[in-house]
Amino acid sequence: MHVVVLVKHVPEPTATWSFADDLTLDRAAVEGRLSELDEYAVEQAVRLVESGLDARVTYLTLGPAKAVEGLRKALSMGGDDGVHVVDPAVHGSDALATSLVLAKALQHIGFDLVLAGMASTDAEMSVVPAMLAERLGVPQVTFGGDLAVDAAAGTVTVHRDGDDATEEVVAALPAVVSLTDRTGQPRYPSFKAIMAGKKKPVQTLTLADLGVAPEQVGAAAAGVVVRSVSVRPPKQAGQVVVDDGTAAAVVADFLVARGFA
Amino acid sequence: MSDPAPQVLVLVETVPADPATGRPATVRRPSLEQLTVARRLGTPAALVCGPADDDVVAVLGRHGAATVYVVDAPEVGGYLVGPKVDAVTAVVARGDVGCVLVTSNAEGKEVGGRVAVRLGSGIVTDAVDVQAGDGGPVVTQAVVAGQWLATSQVVRGVPVIAVRPNAAPVEPAPVQAVVEKVDVTFAPASLGARVVTRTPRAATGRPELTAAPVVVAGGRGVGSAEGFAVVEALADALGGAVGASRAATDESWYGHQFQIGQTGKTVAPALYVAAGISGAIQHRAGMQSARTVVAVNKDAKAPIFALADLGVVGDLHTLLPQVVAEIARRRA
Amino acid sequence: MTRGMTFRLLVGLLVTAAALALAGRRLHVLYRLGRLAQPVAPGRTTGAAAVLRAEVVEVLGQRRLLRWTLPGLAHLLTFWGFLLLGLTIVEGYGALFVRDFALPVVGRQAWLGALEDTVALLTLASVVVFAAIRLRHAPAREGRRSRFFGSHLDGAWLILFMITNVVWTLLLYRGAQVNTGYFPFRSGAYASEAVARLLEPLGERGNTVVEHVGVVLAVTVVMVFLVLVVHSKHLHIGAAVANVALARRPRALGALQPVRSGGREVDFEDPGEDDLMGVGKVEDLTWKGLLDLASCTECGRCQSQCPAWNTGKPLSPKLFVMGLRDHALAKAPYLLAADDAARAALPDAARAEGERPLVGTAQENGVIDPDVLWSCTTCGACVEQCPVDIEHVDHVVDLRRHQMLMESAFPEEAGIMLRNLEHAGDPWGRGGGHRLEWAEPLPFEVRVLGDDGADRLPDDVEYLFWVGCAGALDDAAQRTTRAVATLLHEAGVSFMTLGGAETCTGDAARRAGNEFLFRMLAQANVETLDAVGARRIVVTCAHCFNALANEYPQVGGHYEVVHHTQLLADLVASGRLTPVTPVETTLTYHDACYLGRHNRIFAPPRELLGAVPGVRLAEPPRTRERSFCCGAGGARMWMDETIGTRIGHERARELLELSPDVVTAACPFCILMLGDGVAAHLGPEPARPVEVTDVAEILLRSVLPARAAEPAPEPAEPAEPAGGTTP
Repeated sequence: MHVVVLVKHVPEPTATWSFADDLTLDRAAVEGRLSELDEYAVEQAVRLVESGLDARVTYLTLGPAKAVEGLRKALSMGGDDGVHVVDPAVHGSDALATSLVLAKALQHIGFDLVLAGMASTDAEMSVVPAMLAERLGVPQVTFGGDLAVDAAAGTVTVHRDGDDATEEVVAALPAVVSLTDRTGQPRYPSFKAIMAGKKKPVQTLTLADLGVAPEQVGAAAAGVVVRSVSVRPPKQAGQVVVDDGTAAAVVADFLVARGFA
Repeated sequence: MSDPAPQVLVLVETVPADPATGRPATVRRPSLEQLTVARRLGTPAALVCGPADDDVVAVLGRHGAATVYVVDAPEVGGYLVGPKVDAVTAVVARGDVGCVLVTSNAEGKEVGGRVAVRLGSGIVTDAVDVQAGDGGPVVTQAVVAGQWLATSQVVRGVPVIAVRPNAAPVEPAPVQAVVEKVDVTFAPASLGARVVTRTPRAATGRPELTAAPVVVAGGRGVGSAEGFAVVEALADALGGAVGASRAATDESWYGHQFQIGQTGKTVAPALYVAAGISGAIQHRAGMQSARTVVAVNKDAKAPIFALADLGVVGDLHTLLPQVVAEIARRRA
Repeated sequence: MTRGMTFRLLVGLLVTAAALALAGRRLHVLYRLGRLAQPVAPGRTTGAAAVLRAEVVEVLGQRRLLRWTLPGLAHLLTFWGFLLLGLTIVEGYGALFVRDFALPVVGRQAWLGALEDTVALLTLASVVVFAAIRLRHAPAREGRRSRFFGSHLDGAWLILFMITNVVWTLLLYRGAQVNTGYFPFRSGAYASEAVARLLEPLGERGNTVVEHVGVVLAVTVVMVFLVLVVHSKHLHIGAAVANVALARRPRALGALQPVRSGGREVDFEDPGEDDLMGVGKVEDLTWKGLLDLASCTECGRCQSQCPAWNTGKPLSPKLFVMGLRDHALAKAPYLLAADDAARAALPDAARAEGERPLVGTAQENGVIDPDVLWSCTTCGACVEQCPVDIEHVDHVVDLRRHQMLMESAFPEEAGIMLRNLEHAGDPWGRGGGHRLEWAEPLPFEVRVLGDDGADRLPDDVEYLFWVGCAGALDDAAQRTTRAVATLLHEAGVSFMTLGGAETCTGDAARRAGNEFLFRMLAQANVETLDAVGARRIVVTCAHCFNALANEYPQVGGHYEVVHHTQLLADLVASGRLTPVTPVETTLTYHDACYLGRHNRIFAPPRELLGAVPGVRLAEPPRTRERSFCCGAGGARMWMDETIGTRIGHERARELLELSPDVVTAACPFCILMLGDGVAAHLGPEPARPVEVTDVAEILLRSVLPARAAEPAPEPAEPAEPAGGTTP
């Protein structure tokens, strides 16, 4: 079985972010990391193999040269190889173009099960797994809180927490599955594993390799144009009182004045 | 949007009738908010996937939906997302739709994403505001954990916009709703992910978290599962929903489905009360669109106070019951 | 030759030959075991002058043993007794060949006879003292409090018995010699003469028999002793001498050693395929490490001082060392087997010993339990006390290194800290953007590198102020940072900070065994410091101090590092700061391990407090070198403390017994831990509140009372775990 995990190299959430002149996130200006939420998908892929599933685990990423660091981090946690789609034409792509390139890459390398995190910690759209399923014509199972694969039956099963019910969802493979941060703490790779990860093969692909024309991606092909970006005006900090026994009245007055009580 | 006065299609989320309490079927609040948005952009139309009884159609009509498309097939409830994507594209294929609005939650974004691919359309998610503009709707999004605001426009295909709850008010605009049943042939690929069991959780009797006008949330400072009683008491006094920070849900003090933050729910209520929540960035990402924030924390330096319209440095276990009592006294 | 002399010689030589064969075989095994181990770091075996000095002070002078007066004296007597009794062994062997053998030159002089007899009696007296100590502090009576808890008690009693045997057999044959006329000393040997009077009734023949048998008995006892010594903890008699000679000097504290494999430092950028990363098997220790194990006397001085042991945790430095030693010896047949076939032919027990994991739970049949390994705060109290210079902390960290770097096996909570260091550069995961918040309330501008557009420290800057993660991000520590900045500003000392360019020094990562992460952080910091041209650095954190001053030279960073208490004490002494306003308060001072024991900074904080009028300083019972840890060191700050009682609470209890108004310390982590402990003891609404703060804060109150009027911090909520996405 071929398990492909989608991983994304994102700016450090604790760093200070900025936007470049073309209104895209200035990724060169901040340290990057493997998106924390992708680590959960990587962990589940590695655990599948550890629990006896006969599978090859490949990590797929799309991004600039630096994004290979995300692949290396994933490879240090386990798995077999990495695929890095890198092409200058990709810069400025929206979710539509991103899903197009990833779909072509998945078709290129082959897959039985595609795993993804629940969102990236930078764009936070959470739509790419669904778009991929649409493009690949395979079932999508999203926001799984766990993951079970039945290789013999060729199915994948997850449980997901809805607003008013917990659902058990089954899909036939091949399928696209996204996993939440409830699936289990990702491992902290040992130094030995980091060194081993550095030696695992990483294949680099360009758009030409995937048969994607440059005009199908990038800012020019985007379905959405960003008109402006601004720092959200910091909220004016209000009044802060220290509770000396009278604060409850202050709060009640405030709620009444604003019409909440 | 070249069509004159095109339809703006809202994918409606409904709450089925509850025979036990006699509560009729109803429409979730975010869908009604989207009808308000739809009126700004064109002619509101609603799509109900599943049974649309008279109560639902009436509510939609009261809020301006002139046309209510209904796709009622067993597939809709039994599979994830796919059938709804087929339903939306079937309606759009009729040619009158100029824009699709969905709720910016997990399911809405997935339906939207797949519809966008199928239609070759641009999609914008996490909209906190949508206004009509030259060349189509202008969408304001909160990005980068809500720290930045971006405005954008869809420039390809029928725009698909996922709108966050509380991005617009619910406004009555009564029209006579016309019901159109739509027959959809579901693609085999849309029936791939089957829901095999559904275990409903006991209803809390409180409003749904993401749509509630008031949210009272507890964090690490609550200290225990039992400690949430004071949080619930205040929520009930204010008619609000109860939320929790990840610290609290990780400790299993409160259900995971009530987690607010980057990896939980995003809420934008009129009033947000943060009790014992320090306000780390990941939590703020889920609540900073709240219009009014009241924070209670022992630590005067907690980052949450920077967001608060009113902050109290003190013990929530002392303060919250006092506030409940004060509110009751003023109402009496 | 008489029949008697033939008997003496034959039996004496036979016994000797047998004993030497047995002892030699044992020593050969030990030698081969040592050969299997890792080589020592270069430089360990040089420095003759220092070695000589150490031998004189530690071995001949028994310096550390004498810190504990009574047992120290008893050991001194036994030690010197044995050196002198060595003379009687020579006499005894001489008597095997020549019936009236005497040492050359002085061998017949009365004073020697008197000395030998006196020493013999004093040795006997020491045995009585030792026996009394052992009875009084028997684990059966005192339980875990006994320093002998877990020691090999039977072996110790056997040795005391053997020492007694040495003395009485000696006196026996000497007494008989007096009566038969073969005694070398005409007068002086009063004890031997007293025994002679007792033996006199046996007559000429009787005494001759007693003399022959006595000499053989004396020689036999010595030989049995030899065999016992090389097979027991009393190997320390020889091993300790070598161990003291090879010890890290001045002490095995301060900097940790780099990770070495085959005696060479491991290159973490490009490690060798088979490089060892710490100690994963007992034979991964260096031969000096094995010598440490062999040197342990099981005296339990370390155990009696250990903060983990004293709060009910399973770690005792003594039991840790004994566990490793017993395992090394039991594994020796397995390790020394010629090939796999020989190994397969070993008895089951020996094979099983060879396959035991070095670190593992009781279920896993581990030698060292993970709870033992991760309980260590690296406070160094054990190293400080050890009379034979065992390097406990280095071994604990070496074992942790293997667990961390090769097995990724460590307490889960520590992983949060490590991730935060990797991604945010501080253990709380806040990120560089928050590192200047501490300065916001100050009424003057704090200079930050880069503010004026320059990327190097301007010439007028005297000190780079290394704020540290706690100093920048923790509430209480921020107050200290502000107090120090205000005092420096007042004294006219120009300083600058790195602001967001600073990251954690890596102290906690290194002590958790993550040398890789430590190197990454240290190298980045050294690059930053060198790029800005930093030479003199002032720090407020004992851990930052230790890393910058002692460990950064290992990664190429050489700076003159001072702790704020040193700099402030200098400023007070030179009159640049004048504490004038009396601070009427009783306070106590807690020595941070990494300031005191590890770095010998004892005086400056006390000088500071002494310079403040009105301050009454009350020293706790455990102070300076014997200060009791707060519980935060060795990366323990970032792990849950669930076994036994909390170390910080135990220390707070001790400090509160002095009824202070203020508990002071000079390390942000001590202040955090003690603050927690004091709050726990006093409860939510104490009748008499006790403040926990840095000594700099006290100085500020005297120098600039107006500025010191910051409100005391509210007791914080339970510390947030430094979770990645945990809001």
